[in-house]
Amino acid sequence: MIRLGLRLALAGGREAVVRLVITAAAVGLGVMLLLSALAGINAVNAQNQRYAWISTSVEFVHPHAYAQATAGKPAVAPARDPMWFELNTGYVAGQVYGRVDVAATGPDGPRLPGVARVPGPGQYYASPALARLLRDLPANQLADRFPGQQVGTIGPAALPAPNTLMIIVGDPVATLAHQPGAAKVTSIETVPPSGCNGSDCVAGVGIGSDGIDLILSCVAAGLLFPVLIFIGTASRLSAARREQRFAAMRLAGATPRQVSVISAVESTLAATGGVAGGFGLFYLVRPAIATIPFTGAPFFTSDLSLSAADVAAVAVGVPVAAAIAALIALRRVQISPLGVTRRATPKPPGSWRVIPLLAGMAELAYFAVIGRPATVSGQIQAFLPGFLLLLAGLVVAGPWLTMVGARLLARRAQRPAALIAARRLADNPRAGFRAISGLIVALFVTSVAVGVITTMASYRTGPAATPQVRNTVVDDFSDPVSGNFVGVAVPGEMLARLQGVEGVQGVTLVHTNPLRTWFTVRAGVHFFTSQAGLASCAEVAHTPVMGRCAAGAEVASVPPAGMSPMLTHQSSSVWAAAAYPAARLAGLPVTAIEVATDGAAADNRVQTVLADFHSADGVPTTIAETNAYNSANQTLAMEQQLADVIILTSLPIAGCALAASVVSGLTERRRPFSLLRLAGTSLGVLRRVVAFESVLPLLVVAVVSLGVGFAGAALFLRAQLGYSLRAPGVGFYGIVAAGLVAALAIIAATLPVLKRVTGPEVARND
Amino acid sequence: MSAAVSAVEGRELFRSFGATPALRGASVTVAAGEMLAVMGPSGSGKSTLLHCLAGILVPDRGEVWFGGQRIDTLGEGARSALRRERFGFVFQFGQLVPELTAAENVALPLLLDGTHRRAALAEARPWFGRLGLDGLEDRRSGELSGGEAQRVALARGLVARPEVLFADEPTGSLDSVTGEHVMELLTNATREQGTTVILVTHEPRVAAYAHREVVVRDGLVGHLAAGRAAAQTAGRAEG
Repeated sequence: MIRLGLRLALAGGREAVVRLVITAAAVGLGVMLLLSALAGINAVNAQNQRYAWISTSVEFVHPHAYAQATAGKPAVAPARDPMWFELNTGYVAGQVYGRVDVAATGPDGPRLPGVARVPGPGQYYASPALARLLRDLPANQLADRFPGQQVGTIGPAALPAPNTLMIIVGDPVATLAHQPGAAKVTSIETVPPSGCNGSDCVAGVGIGSDGIDLILSCVAAGLLFPVLIFIGTASRLSAARREQRFAAMRLAGATPRQVSVISAVESTLAATGGVAGGFGLFYLVRPAIATIPFTGAPFFTSDLSLSAADVAAVAVGVPVAAAIAALIALRRVQISPLGVTRRATPKPPGSWRVIPLLAGMAELAYFAVIGRPATVSGQIQAFLPGFLLLLAGLVVAGPWLTMVGARLLARRAQRPAALIAARRLADNPRAGFRAISGLIVALFVTSVAVGVITTMASYRTGPAATPQVRNTVVDDFSDPVSGNFVGVAVPGEMLARLQGVEGVQGVTLVHTNPLRTWFTVRAGVHFFTSQAGLASCAEVAHTPVMGRCAAGAEVASVPPAGMSPMLTHQSSSVWAAAAYPAARLAGLPVTAIEVATDGAAADNRVQTVLADFHSADGVPTTIAETNAYNSANQTLAMEQQLADVIILTSLPIAGCALAASVVSGLTERRRPFSLLRLAGTSLGVLRRVVAFESVLPLLVVAVVSLGVGFAGAALFLRAQLGYSLRAPGVGFYGIVAAGLVAALAIIAATLPVLKRVTGPEVARND
Repeated sequence: MSAAVSAVEGRELFRSFGATPALRGASVTVAAGEMLAVMGPSGSGKSTLLHCLAGILVPDRGEVWFGGQRIDTLGEGARSALRRERFGFVFQFGQLVPELTAAENVALPLLLDGTHRRAALAEARPWFGRLGLDGLEDRRSGELSGGEAQRVALARGLVARPEVLFADEPTGSLDSVTGEHVMELLTNATREQGTTVILVTHEPRVAAYAHREVVVRDGLVGHLAAGRAAAQTAGRAEG
């Protein structure tokens, strides 16, 4: 019987082959997306693994915390000759770069990844992207920060991403050993940021375990689910035509069991072909997928790898699942020798289905009214069930909402296209909803994320990227280990160099404060007060982003770290006068230097000058750079990126699933549609029927899931943080619109099928 | 029946599908208000002839005239409009849209022409009484018997009061009693409206309802004697 099934599928005439090819192609597309999602997860982990070595010094700076956080992880054998190691960051042209200073103490030291050997004093290795910048920018904007000679390029093993800016600088042992941030290490870190918990075990690079969990759950909910739905829909393409043929076989004496076997063979064959094609397609598009900055940084193509388990699960799982789906589909219809009948009209979904959704909303609203629980675990117990109820509620209520909406439309429809589409959806809302149920999950998850991210970003980040903010460089001095401010002496020669840099408009030095006065700023509804530093009002007048002094003041109490991003929107702040003689300020140590410039090139030049100065304690950074690379904002940016990628991919995937169901629906109604066309109904009307049937649920679901997601986010923000939901930026709507356009384009691509399947030959009385 | 005014005329029609010729110079004239039966064995080209006369297919050669206008030279859009607005169709089976009720299926041509839904349904409902379908207005196609579905299709073909009704094996999937019933209804309804009917059938009993019969054989049209007499002759010949 299996051989007969194979023969029927492969040698059953043109129609059978076309059916097989279309189904296989759709399954192949789904498999490609599935493999991309799985490889994406592997790529995130592979990329994160390459952040491990950058955190090397942490183990040796916080040995106890590190040992606790990585308990159970395999330890690396220590090398005989230790190496001095220091990680710093720097900024150029608005981008962050990593600078690792190393000094070997002997020939048998730890081996650095990505380089042939540890660079000696006066030598450095640069990543390809940084090497390009070193070549392209004038020396006083970048190269002067790294005196010495480039002896090679850092290989991919040490670079999280192909565009990572990284430099490994060799120093004399005597110099590096005296840097406060340097550590004597006997091994290179191999535990990735996701492998240990707590701030004492990572250097603030890569993705921590929480972030990895977030990515995995978003990918699972936002991508895998819609892809699996699509593959399921695709594997049942042309089911109606197949069922008619099975009826003919029953007439010829085939038993129901034999028909089941033939059906399973056909589905498995198409799925196997699809799987093979899907693997091919995946390797074809892999380089393009690698450029998507899923984590905020692109991947190396080789990062998008598949484990043996992934390959086996897809290669075996998809055909097996297709065979099972075919058998289940056959059980829903009665194929008798006289034809095909549905076993029963599906029972309409009941209104009870809306209860979980309402319960989830009510639960979150309750906490929005009474406020959040006091403890973190209480908050998790309060909000997680609410969001899960909303998510499950949307999926459970979806068919009922589809039915209610379709019935309303059917009652009011005046045009045949809307009427036919609404009736079809109302007749079997579960089928109508199935094709887009993956989308509802993806859009809900992303709208909650985007709602929360946008609002938090709006409340928590200060500066808009005004030219003043972009072009002011701040170098504040703090101990890299303790985080306390350090007062350093700024030689007059240094100050003169800064003031002499082309494009510098003003330099303000923030000094330590023997008066112990305080400053106060308002951040939103909160007041922030802290011990102040002292600054000359004559200097403040030339660095406008710092605000201004009270009238008549010569010296003022200002924030000791210069202007942190949280405070920069206080540029209109008026700093209180401090009773300290201006002439004596120069004798006080400096905790921060603030330099106003006229543009990005000047920024780079100032940063290059400052990189020489007390580099152990400060990282000269523009306020915009600090803001962009602050860890909270980077997390927000990564989540935003994740949300964008999921929206941009889940909508087209839903479009594919809808397109597959459109083709199925057309095949089922081939004859009535053809005869309508012969009777003069224009193709436009039939196209509108198809469009209504697919576009209507797509748009309704998009609006409902986004609405519920934003409502959930609003209630959560109100309860947890007392924030009001802020509308996402134009970019979000642009991304949603782009995703919708892609989905609609995919659906539109099925319309030529309509013309072909409704040709006059269908009217023949066969 | 006077044949002085011709409603539809096909002149020297040729049409091939690939290398297979279906029509090889077929000519036929149908007078206004006439019911013409087109008979012939399977594969003789009778459905192709009907499709050419209705403007569904364009002949490779020859001319098709309707109401004094040549229609085979019209574009697809104009021919579609002609079919929608001035012709009606009844096919053998499977012509009802499964999502619509019987009444909505009958009203469909009016809805497609832009008539308001309520008005279209109001115009469709009397046909249920005329065709013995009372009480079936809200049923779906899956809830109708073959004969009922065919009568609904007939109502749909006539609801817009077409000038010509093209019927392609309208009783082909029905038993003989039901088929006769449908044909009687078709004959009465078209006679009341003065509709010209071109009926393709291979059943002499069905053809006997027509005023005149032609036979298509090998892509050419041959003429037979009128109506029932011809049917009886054919019946004897077959028996």
